[in-house]
Amino acid sequence: MGFLLTTLVFVVIGIVASLCARICCNKGPSANLLHLTLVITATVCCWMMWAIVYLAQMNPLIVPILSESE
Amino acid sequence: MAERECLPTMDLLRSEPMQLARLIIPVESAHRVISYLGELGLFQFKDLNMEKSPFQRTYATQIKRCREMARKLRFFRDQMYKAGLLSSTWPTHGSEISLDELEVKLGELEVELIEMNANSEKLQRAYNELLEYRLVLKKAGEVFYPAQTRATTQQREHEHHRVERSIDSPLLLEQVLLSYFSLLGCYSKIYDAASYPPMVLKEITADLSKQVKLGYVSGLVQRDKSMAFERILFRATRGNVYLKQESVEEPVVDPVSGDKVEKNVFIVFHAGERAKSKVLKICDAFGANRYHFTDDTGKQYQMITEVTGKLSELKTTIDVGKHHWSSVVQAIGLQFEQWNTMVKKEKSIYHTLDMLSFDVTKKCLVAEGWCPVHATSQIQKALLRATIDSNSQVGAIFEVLHSKESPPTYFCTNKIMNAFQEIVNAYGVAKYQEANPGVYTAVTFPFLFAVMFGDWGHGICLFLASSFLILKEKKYSTQKLGDIMEMAFGGRYVIIMMSIFSIYTGLIYNEFFSVPFEFFGRSAYACRDSSCRDATTIGLIKVRNTYPFGVDPVWHGTRSELPFLNSLKMKMSILLGVAQMNLGIIMSYFNAKFFQNDLDIWYQFVPQMIFLNSLFGYLSLLIIVKWCTGSQADLYHVMIYMFLSPMDDLADNQLFVGQKYLQILLLFLALVAVPWMLIPKPFLLKKQHEERHQGGAYEPLHTLDENLEQQLNNRSRGGGHEEFQFSEVLVHQLIHTIEFVLGSVSNTASYLRLWALSLAHSELSSVFFEKVLLLAWGYNNSVILAIGVVVFIFATVGVLLVMETLSAFLHALRLHWVEFQNKFYQGDGYIFLPFSFSLINDDEE
Repeated sequence: MGFLLTTLVFVVIGIVASLCARICCNKGPSANLLHLTLVITATVCCWMMWAIVYLAQMNPLIVPILSESE
Repeated sequence: MAERECLPTMDLLRSEPMQLARLIIPVESAHRVISYLGELGLFQFKDLNMEKSPFQRTYATQIKRCREMARKLRFFRDQMYKAGLLSSTWPTHGSEISLDELEVKLGELEVELIEMNANSEKLQRAYNELLEYRLVLKKAGEVFYPAQTRATTQQREHEHHRVERSIDSPLLLEQVLLSYFSLLGCYSKIYDAASYPPMVLKEITADLSKQVKLGYVSGLVQRDKSMAFERILFRATRGNVYLKQESVEEPVVDPVSGDKVEKNVFIVFHAGERAKSKVLKICDAFGANRYHFTDDTGKQYQMITEVTGKLSELKTTIDVGKHHWSSVVQAIGLQFEQWNTMVKKEKSIYHTLDMLSFDVTKKCLVAEGWCPVHATSQIQKALLRATIDSNSQVGAIFEVLHSKESPPTYFCTNKIMNAFQEIVNAYGVAKYQEANPGVYTAVTFPFLFAVMFGDWGHGICLFLASSFLILKEKKYSTQKLGDIMEMAFGGRYVIIMMSIFSIYTGLIYNEFFSVPFEFFGRSAYACRDSSCRDATTIGLIKVRNTYPFGVDPVWHGTRSELPFLNSLKMKMSILLGVAQMNLGIIMSYFNAKFFQNDLDIWYQFVPQMIFLNSLFGYLSLLIIVKWCTGSQADLYHVMIYMFLSPMDDLADNQLFVGQKYLQILLLFLALVAVPWMLIPKPFLLKKQHEERHQGGAYEPLHTLDENLEQQLNNRSRGGGHEEFQFSEVLVHQLIHTIEFVLGSVSNTASYLRLWALSLAHSELSSVFFEKVLLLAWGYNNSVILAIGVVVFIFATVGVLLVMETLSAFLHALRLHWVEFQNKFYQGDGYIFLPFSFSLINDDEE
């Protein structure tokens, strides 16, 4: 799907998740900020992991060499 | 300051603002005030009577009373366990009762129970003794006459050798009787003694035994001691006794010890007083109970009936007693929990009251303590309520004090964030108002765990286990669990977060019990040509777009899987590590900004950022550029020669234009950053100190409001405040700089454990799958398959789900405690422990 497109998907998921958190547990501005921080941190972590794995496979220097038994 | 007001504060980022407050309470409402504050649970009392020993304090007698009551309650609990009442069935609420009434009641019940126990013990012992007596009567009766006959025979023979011959006719009678008796003796061997006319036999033997003064002792001895008993009797009396033993079939309850032991009934025939006393002493030594036995048959039957009657009487008495006891214990059981809580509460209230000091007028108690600022109105309400309830004339006063002492740290966590906060607190409690790493730990900790655990099959197992614990939350939170279950239950929210992230990383690593799936599209690799000849030598090539989500499924099982995955995971570890360390340094910036420490911002934060990012940030950049361009550059080479010979031409290792000059610049920045961290700060601190204490000869007058203790406090910490040791500050800064500079290398390398554990997990998982499950499958035999499945499940649960979870948990914890927190966290505060009844209940258990 391409790097940028999937990144955009992650951003959208992050926004949706923060909106859900705001709707479900709206407990005042300080608590909301905490929930927002948690959601954003989680989204960033997940995106980073995906991005690293995707970038590593974009221009590979090693190719799969099948083992003999197959 | 203005900037801070624009952004709203974030929950949990910093400790709640705390204040030192003083309460002045009239004595008559003191108990109630403390009780209501205990229910509120938001006030931490300071001990104002530190110098006094526990015995000198005002409420020592009350505490002694409470301790006595607690002891009685412990005694009742033992009785309840004996009665078999389980603690989980005890109700927690009962009728209202005052402390004095409770004390009286507990005393009465204790006396009653002790009496009942003593009585039942006595009765039981008497019962057992009677049982033994009955046994002796029955058994001894069977063997008495033959035994007596034999004994008398033996004695006659002995005496015959000793008695001098006399010409009296009794001698003739004796001789005749002797011969007749020996015949009798022979006959008794051949015939059953019962077949002889018993009366004749008995009369003769009775007469004879009277003449030879044969006495007998009967009783019960333990079977395992019986041989020793016999031997010692024989030796002590030089063989002049006749012992007959008969074993009892079933074990008898020993009256002394109360246990069931195997016993033998014995009769010892002896002659003379000395022998008798020896036999008696030996019986006592062996703990053999002696019971009197009459040789009159009529009396024997009478005795047996009497004893049986007494036994049944005793049994009924004992049963009635037991029934009464158990009803008393059950009645106690209904009220036990309530009494227990009440006694604990009262004890804690008196302990707290002991911490307060008396006012000069002796009519008021003064309390000092910490409380959160937002709890002020609640505390004042509680004070008002207590004043009204105790009908006091004077209200309690709540006054805020100002102090230079560092307040305790208080985070208002809910049950989910509490577990993560506990993890952070285990390393060190945050200093007052310092940034709390718990906010980020709540996400990064499960995330780093998942990077090391990455398997969505295992993740699902963990998820099911933790959701089970969460669903049964209400039930388990009231029960008492074992130590390990307690820890697992306490961490249920952590585990569920860990499992959710593990499912995500499992999908990225594409491992379901080490099996990859093609969920997200087709694999990017295919054979070079249609015959696939080169697949096992040169390999496949990339024909389509990159696999959109996660690791391409074709890699599993290939020969080049490990080189590829190792490279990927190592680089990933470095990237994640550098990101987290940067986050740590940025947190230190926010701390410096909050405490308005400009010095820290310019001379610590900035050089630290420059140093870390010019070296390891640059490495991360190189990694990403190499991936994006697919260059063959050797990054080890690049980094090492950046230091060794920065002026050299890069040749094949060039990743982008101007790399050489960028490297020289970054190296220069890093070299500049080190003295920037080290040197200016101590000098500037010295200058600041001198400015602050310019007019240091004059100190502000203490107002009347501040009490003596504050002055004492200031004086005791005067060392740190008044003096400024320049050498100390310089050394401190030197240590800090070296720690950071060397730490940046070691910490970055430390993040490679993410790679190591992830590799271990996937290899173990792969081995269990291939070498157990697939091997068992290959035999095409259902028995072997069943065994294989069972072994696979045990291995997966034991090694991967338990051991690997703990291992990854530990390493993720270490990464947070050391690599993340040493960039910004002081962690030298103390936690807010309010006086609260709910905490006390947890404490005591």
